[in-house]
Amino acid sequence: MKTIKLLVLSIMLISFFNCEDDGPNLQDIQSVSIEDLYAPQEGGQGQPISGTFARFDFETGLQTESETEWDVAFRGTSIIVNGGTSLGTTDEPERTGDAGVYIFDGTMAEMVAVETSLIIQDSSSGYAIQSGSGNGWYTYAGPPTYLINPTPGKILVFRTRDGKYAKMEILSYYLGAPENPDAFSDPSRYFTFNYVYQPNEGVTDFN
Amino acid sequence: MFKKITLLHLLFLCSSFSWSQAIFLDNDSIENSLDEVIISGTKTIRTVSSLPLNASVIKKDAIEKTNATRLSDVINEELGLITVSDFGGAEGIQMQGLDSEYTLVLLDNQPLVGRLAGTLDLNRISVGNIKQIEIVRGPSSSLYGNNAFAGVINIITEEPSEGFNGYLSSTYETHKTLDNSINLNYKKKKFYGSVFFNNYSSDGYDLIEDDGLNTVNKFNTNTLQIKFGQNISESLKVKINARYYAQLIDNIAPNSLSGETFTAEDNINLIVSHESDKLKTDLEIYFTSYFGDEFLDDDQGNRFSESFYDQILFKPEIKTVYKVNNQKELVFGLGYKYESLNRTYFDLKPKQKSPFIYFQYDFNPNDKVNLIFGGRFDKYKEYKSQISPKFSGIYKIGDNESIKVSAGYGYKTPDFRQLYFNFSNSTIGYSVIGYNVVEDVLNQLINEGQIANIIVPIDEFEEPLSPESSFGLNVGYNRDLNEKINMSVNVFNNSAKNLIDYRVIANKTNGQNVFSYYNVNNVSTFGFDIKTKFKTDNYLNFTLGYQLLYAFDLDARNAFENGEIFARLTPTSPAFRLKKSDYFGLYNRSRHMGVFKVNYNNLEKKFSANLRLRYRSKYGLFDSNSNNYLDKYDTFVKGHFTTNISLNKKINSKTMVSGGIENIFNYLDTENISSLSGRIYYLRIKHNLN
Repeated sequence: MKTIKLLVLSIMLISFFNCEDDGPNLQDIQSVSIEDLYAPQEGGQGQPISGTFARFDFETGLQTESETEWDVAFRGTSIIVNGGTSLGTTDEPERTGDAGVYIFDGTMAEMVAVETSLIIQDSSSGYAIQSGSGNGWYTYAGPPTYLINPTPGKILVFRTRDGKYAKMEILSYYLGAPENPDAFSDPSRYFTFNYVYQPNEGVTDFN
Repeated sequence: MFKKITLLHLLFLCSSFSWSQAIFLDNDSIENSLDEVIISGTKTIRTVSSLPLNASVIKKDAIEKTNATRLSDVINEELGLITVSDFGGAEGIQMQGLDSEYTLVLLDNQPLVGRLAGTLDLNRISVGNIKQIEIVRGPSSSLYGNNAFAGVINIITEEPSEGFNGYLSSTYETHKTLDNSINLNYKKKKFYGSVFFNNYSSDGYDLIEDDGLNTVNKFNTNTLQIKFGQNISESLKVKINARYYAQLIDNIAPNSLSGETFTAEDNINLIVSHESDKLKTDLEIYFTSYFGDEFLDDDQGNRFSESFYDQILFKPEIKTVYKVNNQKELVFGLGYKYESLNRTYFDLKPKQKSPFIYFQYDFNPNDKVNLIFGGRFDKYKEYKSQISPKFSGIYKIGDNESIKVSAGYGYKTPDFRQLYFNFSNSTIGYSVIGYNVVEDVLNQLINEGQIANIIVPIDEFEEPLSPESSFGLNVGYNRDLNEKINMSVNVFNNSAKNLIDYRVIANKTNGQNVFSYYNVNNVSTFGFDIKTKFKTDNYLNFTLGYQLLYAFDLDARNAFENGEIFARLTPTSPAFRLKKSDYFGLYNRSRHMGVFKVNYNNLEKKFSANLRLRYRSKYGLFDSNSNNYLDKYDTFVKGHFTTNISLNKKINSKTMVSGGIENIFNYLDTENISSLSGRIYYLRIKHNLN
């Protein structure tokens, strides 16, 4: 928990001239930056992967130990959602919610409304965010740098476990999000990302 | 004697300018010719200036003046050609922006084999007995078939002249690099024989410490070349060219691993030539093999890894040149190629048999024009048979001016690795499967429970992988401005399609991927080169050259144009969309290249000196911002100059002493340029025996 710094960069007031039509109970959307969420794993490189996933709750903006109150979880380069079924790897949590995700190709600003029909959930044959370089959120550079970096232009669009929406841009996989990461010296499996959370149930846009 | 009359001799006989002066030639008087002659463009002997192709020749004396020892040294100083190291350390040639696997490399008109990862290592060739290096830019499959996709480099070794002659030569360089040669030639009327032996060794060097590796490992290389020739009658000649090459490298690797790489190459070519007034026929029977074996042991002496590579090529070919008259000439040839490869990670030993036939019609419709039409048919079983046409023409505008055009088709068949590889990485766990064995190997992996899901259905591999192909266009303009200045411009365009790349075809249960090959990339390279030669007086001459090059993957450029590619400036800033103009092009291509050479030659004082500068503008080696493309926000290797100087002094009638410095200004980029190890000093003594 110490590694997480919650920074509410800006709290945007929904200032549409017709906002009154939406009712007075609408909450403001939240733009949040998370630095260095640590997502360790054991095994890998051909060995079976194990280790507890680092679970994250969009609503609180915090990492959580809860078995049920989480939306997205990280272990190494694997990202899972709290929805669908388990792939069955060691230490993988059961899905208790209705979370799902898809990848939007574009910038964070361009991602204005969720296309709910594209949302998929984890399944026994694979995660909704596919593993492997170039398939999901990251690009593995291979030799000579061996870096794992988030692929620019990949926005993860989530439905949370309880039917709300969030969009996320992952920025770095290395501790401290260094300007020029070095795969040999910078500790990896530290996620730095921005996300925007729409706290109003069923509202699919981020305006 | 068969008189090979150059087709444009009539055009140039009146020319007073010696650089483009063509003369009547026969086969034995090439050395005496004032103009450069070349065989690689047409498989007949032609003067470079009259040839309607983008071709050039580097002659023996030019190589000697630079004191080069390996072919890569020479190629690097030629305008528009650069050598590029692959990850195995082999130095290949990049021509008109196309990779080294697309340039055919010939030794005495016969192809060299042994491209482990596609690259033919130019360090394999000693230049000690080279008569000249011929370079033909632009697709040339119409004469050579497979691999002559970007162009052809032909290394012609010397044939003895009358009497006995030879030399001993020794060069000592920084890094304890030693190059020793002995060359003995004998010719008496109808018989000749020659022996060339070269030993080349070095302690190597290490640019990056603490990585457990050497940049260049210690090595020792031997080359032996033997040639015989006998005139059986006035019209019948027999020649044998044989070469043996062997290299031993001391390998070291991280975690106290050490081992050796042994490489051996054999070439033997039997040539029977028959000449009459109008017909010249050559029968050539060529065999070559390339063998490589590599291992690493741990510090206990246990074998950590071992791999081998064993390739052979057998190629009989018969070629007839029929001189109809002084204006028309026909070339006709046919042959058969047998190739096989046995290597680690192959489940079977693939063989390929391909018969071929070619023709060429070379004629002068009038005394200002020379045209060449040609084509070749190669029959393949494994993929579509190939028809390779070529057309070229030259028009002489005035005495000192000419314009040339050539257009041709080139192709490269998928190599055995792309078809038959079966490799699984033991530490990381990914797999690479050759296209033709996907079904078998993938089914085996499925049965072993290693496959999580299939991304590309197996039935997509039923259609054979297509050869990669290119269409090239070269337009050149050459002019002697006056008796001292010559200028030439060449514009080139190569459109390559069906280039082979790899992709993920399945996910494994261990989270890794299975890769295989497919035809995907469409690449365009275009640009121009401009070259000026300038003679000031009897002592000095200058060469200045510049090449502009654009090399694009067209699908990548479309992806930029469609706004599908993104980048971010720093890890903490949001991604933004890139524009078409942000696409830089292919990796390892410099947009600008230049050479500048000054040559001073004082015959009275028996002294010569030359200074050579080479410039390469910035280029990208890999994608550094994780969008899989090279764009202007990536990290680039800086543009740089390298400068070499050499001095030669004849101390008596037989002995030459030479010295020089390569990379005078000690340019280093240890992270990115493994071939630059800092300033290199050398000293050479060459002693003629006759």
